[in-house]
Amino acid sequence: MSVKKTISRERKASRWAARLMKSVRAVLAVRPEADPDNVRHTLILLEQSPLERLRRSLTRGRALAQRK
Amino acid sequence: MAAPSLNASELRFLRALLRRKVRFMVVGLSAAALQGAPVVTQDVDLWFEDLNDPRIGEALREVDAAYVAPSVLNPPMFAGGGVELFDIVLTLHGLGAFSEELRNCVDVSLGRHKLKVLRVDRILASKRAANRAKDRLVIPVLEDSLAASQVAARRRTKKASSPKKRKSSP
Repeated sequence: MSVKKTISRERKASRWAARLMKSVRAVLAVRPEADPDNVRHTLILLEQSPLERLRRSLTRGRALAQRK
Repeated sequence: MAAPSLNASELRFLRALLRRKVRFMVVGLSAAALQGAPVVTQDVDLWFEDLNDPRIGEALREVDAAYVAPSVLNPPMFAGGGVELFDIVLTLHGLGAFSEELRNCVDVSLGRHKLKVLRVDRILASKRAANRAKDRLVIPVLEDSLAASQVAARRRTKKASSPKKRKSSP
């Protein structure tokens, strides 16, 4: 893989992370008692389609149930 | 092992209900998950306006499933056809009547159809009213998630309404 591609991917990733954390801070400014992880995970899930969000929730829930 | 997510039968059943215009909504944690809450659930809770609606039976037959009426031994259930993990909700603590709560739903696209999904603030109201140990565990997650969604929505609205920066001409 070219070095240029790797750098561009890393740059994109760090820009996304910076944007995400800026949004997390904005939420925490309004609701300081919020758990930053809950906020961060919600903001990430909001980037997915609703059905994908449900799929992830069920995948974990049903996998846990099968393990019991 | 079956894929541990919403399976093809479950999706077909939801579409069959929507095609027949059965009045129902998704409630509970699956509704919250559809709206971005980072919660884990095993089933999809459905609240029907009228469980005696014959169109529910038609939709069930389409996926080779059937309705099991409630008895002393079991709650109302769907059986067969891979739709067993849809839970039928009869009452929701702390909420209004079905027709009232239908106004408190968001629409989620399911192909050509719109699925009615109860808003997170109403799910929170029902969890607070039910106040079981498992509800108390999830309330803070739903509160945080609701705050995050509201701030994200406000930022999106603000971004959409702010005038785009134009490049100055030389």
